[in-house]
Amino acid sequence: MDQDRRGQWLRGVLDVCVLALLARRESYGYELAQALDRAGLGQIQGGTLYPVLLRLQRTDLVAAHWRDGEAGPARKYYRLTPSGEEAVRRLSTDWRGFAGRVDDLLFPAMEEVTSQ
Amino acid sequence: MKLLTVAEMALRELSRRRGVLLLLLALPLVCYLARRDHLGQSIRFLLLGLAWAVSTSALFASGTSRRIEPRLRLSGYRSHHLYLGRLVAMWVLGLAVAAPFFALVALDRGGEVRLGALAAAMVLAVTVAAPFGLLIGAAVPRELEGTLILLVTISLQMMIDPADSITRVTPFWSSREIGTYAVDHTGSEYLTRGLLHGVLFTVLATALVAVLSTIRLRSRPHLRYAQR
Amino acid sequence: MSDERWLHALGQELARHRLAPEVTHHVVAEAAAHLRDSGQPALRAFGTPQGYAAAVAESLASQHRPHRRPPGRVRLRASQITKRYGRRTVLKPTDLTVHAGEVAAIVGANGCGKSTFLRICAGLLSPDSGEVVVDGVLGYCPQDGGTYDFLLPEEHFVLVGAGRGLDRARSRRLGRAGAATLQWEAGDGVQARHLSGGTRQKLNLVMAALGEPDVLLLDEPYQGFDRGTYLDFWQHVWRWRDEGRAIVVVTHLLNQLDQVDQVLDLTPATREVAA
Repeated sequence: MDQDRRGQWLRGVLDVCVLALLARRESYGYELAQALDRAGLGQIQGGTLYPVLLRLQRTDLVAAHWRDGEAGPARKYYRLTPSGEEAVRRLSTDWRGFAGRVDDLLFPAMEEVTSQ
Repeated sequence: MKLLTVAEMALRELSRRRGVLLLLLALPLVCYLARRDHLGQSIRFLLLGLAWAVSTSALFASGTSRRIEPRLRLSGYRSHHLYLGRLVAMWVLGLAVAAPFFALVALDRGGEVRLGALAAAMVLAVTVAAPFGLLIGAAVPRELEGTLILLVTISLQMMIDPADSITRVTPFWSSREIGTYAVDHTGSEYLTRGLLHGVLFTVLATALVAVLSTIRLRSRPHLRYAQR
Repeated sequence: MSDERWLHALGQELARHRLAPEVTHHVVAEAAAHLRDSGQPALRAFGTPQGYAAAVAESLASQHRPHRRPPGRVRLRASQITKRYGRRTVLKPTDLTVHAGEVAAIVGANGCGKSTFLRICAGLLSPDSGEVVVDGVLGYCPQDGGTYDFLLPEEHFVLVGAGRGLDRARSRRLGRAGAATLQWEAGDGVQARHLSGGTRQKLNLVMAALGEPDVLLLDEPYQGFDRGTYLDFWQHVWRWRDEGRAIVVVTHLLNQLDQVDQVLDLTPATREVAA
């Protein structure tokens, strides 16, 4: 996939994806980056990820606290706030609707194709 | 307090300028040694060399301060702090330089001169030279021109026939007179004439420096401070 | 660039964006943890310290828009200032009023009289007409010069401080503190003539501000400053504004103008004051 295009699309959905990951369990920055990579979205650099987390924090969708690691230094853990949980639910539904409409444009229904 | 701070900083500044220090120590020495065989001449040239070196140092001290003095005024100094502080510093410097030369002559030709009078002549040379150098610095904007004026003055001082009445106008005539009293063991009228001339010239030069500095650093009439 | 240096630079850049110290500390610590975990070099993971700091500051933007104190009383009022040199009119009648807690910028092309106007306001030059009223103590920083070649920075502080009635220890302390905010270690016994041009200007600026004057007149004081110090200087200006001083800056660099309170444009075609 073209990197620029992927970057553009990712910029639109990164915060939603992060919220979705945090809905499963709380996590810290690098762990989230790894999860996003495993999910097939590519390597998200720290310079992109942390500003997103800060914005989510600023809008009260996530809360953060520092926790000492078992083996190593302290890390900043993020978790969803109640408004964050609600936002995930809402955004997921919104995304499904939006993506569905794009799908319909890109992959027209079978009857229309075969009639041409 | 303000005056002493200005004086201290002027001394610190000059003492770091190796060229100036060299001038202060070497010039009078060269002058003295150049005519060492003839006592009267050597003393006179020593006194002139001392005066020249101190005047030049004062001129340089004026030069570096010119651009900064307006800022110091803004910082709260009055103009008399600035020129009097500098004057005090030059006198201190001059006396500090004169002392080893006095010792030199005392050791070299101590028996032949009136040492008390010699000391007086040296002190007077420094006393006149400092405000004279500051005056030239205040009157002339650039150091190079000021140095030339000093050079001309000193040369005239050396060349003028002492019998000529015009010599009384020259700045360092006073120390010449007292020098003559010290070396040639003349009557005390030389001493009194010299002292009078020296004091008069010092007062005159200092007054002129005061006037020029106060005018240059005056509070401009267009700016006024609101009453609290 | 090593990670350590990158992180240090990040800390400095974040401070320049006026973020609170704890926030800065957290951001740097989190970045450090990420670099440790990922094993990536800092420039790859985050980009330049400047870029990342800017992104962080933008993300946090709404959290710290500083409240502007309403401007206080008039500290400087210049009215109908004109100046001619021979036949050449350098300043047409010009006015400027600056209140406590305000920053005014004087801009215009080279040679249009910005420095002249400022020097008239400082009382260093007489105008042909007009008057200036100042309420409080004045401080002035020239474009260059204004320092003694053979004196140490600390001696400059003592000299200026004595004029303001401060004792030596206090003058030195204030001077060193002022220097520190411009990232300059002023106590190291180097004569002013051996300082670089930019550092000498830092000395000039610290001298102008010593003793907390109420009105600060700064004539492009940032000559020779590197980018970082230039930003530090403007942070200082905002901080002085928050402290309630009145500041006038002559500048021909326009990139900070959206944050000043007034702009006086002396370019001959326009003689307006825009707020």
